[in-house]
Amino acid sequence: MADWDELSDALEEYTSTCNANERLRKMQRDWTRRLHFACSDSTDTFTMVVERGEITSTQRGHDGLPDIIVTTTSETFCDMFWGDLNPVQKYLRGEITVKGSQEDVMRLDAISYVIWPEF
Amino acid sequence: MSASDRGAVAHLRRTVGTATATATSAGLAFAAIDYLGVVSILAYAPGATASFAIFVGGLLVLLVSGVFSELNGLYPSAAGIRLYLGRAVGHRTAMSVTFTYMTTVVLVIAADAFLIGAAVRYVLHEPAALAYVWIAVLLGIALAANLLGVRLAGWVQTSVTYTVLLGTSVLSIIAIFHVGGAFSHPFDLFGKGSFSGIQAVAFALFLFAAFEWVTTTAEEARQPRVITRALFIAPFLIWIVATLFVLGLSHLVAFPHLHGSAYPQLLLGHAALGTVGEMWMLALTVLTALNTFNGGFLVASRFIYAAARENTLPRAFAKLNLRAVPWVAVTSLAVVSAIVAAVVFATGQWLLLVAVGATIEAGIYAIGSLCLLILRRRETRERPFRLVAGRPLAVVGVVVFTILFLATGFADPKNSKHFSIAPFTVIIILATISVLYVRLGVPRIQAAAAARAAAAGPKRRPARPARSETLIAESSSDIDVVPLSSHEAGPSVSDGDR
Repeated sequence: MADWDELSDALEEYTSTCNANERLRKMQRDWTRRLHFACSDSTDTFTMVVERGEITSTQRGHDGLPDIIVTTTSETFCDMFWGDLNPVQKYLRGEITVKGSQEDVMRLDAISYVIWPEF
Repeated sequence: MSASDRGAVAHLRRTVGTATATATSAGLAFAAIDYLGVVSILAYAPGATASFAIFVGGLLVLLVSGVFSELNGLYPSAAGIRLYLGRAVGHRTAMSVTFTYMTTVVLVIAADAFLIGAAVRYVLHEPAALAYVWIAVLLGIALAANLLGVRLAGWVQTSVTYTVLLGTSVLSIIAIFHVGGAFSHPFDLFGKGSFSGIQAVAFALFLFAAFEWVTTTAEEARQPRVITRALFIAPFLIWIVATLFVLGLSHLVAFPHLHGSAYPQLLLGHAALGTVGEMWMLALTVLTALNTFNGGFLVASRFIYAAARENTLPRAFAKLNLRAVPWVAVTSLAVVSAIVAAVVFATGQWLLLVAVGATIEAGIYAIGSLCLLILRRRETRERPFRLVAGRPLAVVGVVVFTILFLATGFADPKNSKHFSIAPFTVIIILATISVLYVRLGVPRIQAAAAARAAAAGPKRRPARPARSETLIAESSSDIDVVPLSSHEAGPSVSDGDR
């Protein structure tokens, strides 16, 4: 099980990688969403705000009304934010659960696909 | 995740309620091809008896609603079908079935493109060959809209669905009360041969086909019961509309006129209200395309994208354009649909398309019932909906839908007194391609993906620093310090990860 420090490092890395990717920001320019994440194996939760394709904040705890809720283990979150796994494979096995529109689920995966195309 | 978490109410900014979910379900099911489906029922159940076949089909669909409600409650996800099939019959079989199932989406898109093209050409009194142009124009518009990321707003989709259902019902009622018609054969289910009643019911199931795809919106439902409600209300609405339509049709239009026609709804419109009725039904037919091209393209292209990302379809299908649309998947769908539509038009085999769709749907319902039967044993956790007498009803579902699968699979769409292997042959070909692809093609794609991931280098995530945690074994006087084994300290690596 990953602790909050590890999750925080992973989120920081993910945020800087996403925001540095020009193509991704152009692709997601019409995408403004509030995402809630919940660890299924601990009490850790966090909120990410995306504004016009740019991740503008990540904070511990749930804040505001979300557009998407993602739930999985803390280890999976860490691996996902470091780009060490393919989120779709986990999702199709039921290891990642998502609440939100199908379009938003795809957009969320598109982020991983664009920044880590080797998967 | 616990069952209670899975069944929890989603506090989302935007959620789907019962009215929208019901409209989605009914909209996915009620396509232009349903008008032809009604004619297929009339081929096996004469006159007003067809409404009785639709009633029996509707009762069976209630069982399907119960089965899919429980399965959806267990796996409330857009990937639900893969999950419950995978848990019940294994992942390879799940993949093969899902690929075959998804071909019905292509068939419906192609059928609608053809039917609407044929209907527009008929009303405008254009030469037959111009139907090809209309097919190309319709699919071209759908392709462009999808590539540009244009989506129908939820309320537009809901309005379109209820307009089509209401418009068809009103015209059908006018036709039923039109002077000069006559009802015949009200209860003559086996009036066209020993098996005709079974085949009529099997084709009646086709009218409801795809209503269960609403389960792919489970992740945006306000509450789990929203999908359950939609699964029961939508078939009821379709049953009412289809019954009125078949009664109107059998009341006013002679069957020989209907059987060779690709636009029975226009014939009914004309018989009931002349040119106004014809234009009325043409407008409704075009409206059905909005749902088919919006919903069908969306469901199928996102499925293809996910399969490519999962490394079960070639990577090219996951390519995204700058509007985050999987453009290769969308374009391929449009091209394949155009080819199928053109072939259908050239060969005049539109009723074969109905028979193939009806057969696949009956097969899916049998497999769904089988999944419920198996998962009742394997998945003991709570579900938000539990089908009463689930096990015996699932057994009934397996038996009945298998019979209906065979009944439509060997139906001759052009002559109800004959049997034909054509529908079954098409399905065997589709299923064989799917199985061979899963057995031979998928392992290669997955091997290439694994090689790509290996070439990308080691994991990016920093190794977790060796923890100072120790197991302290205490003896009577000494303290032994035993370090944890190294694998317990590192992050887990699962199949598919690096």
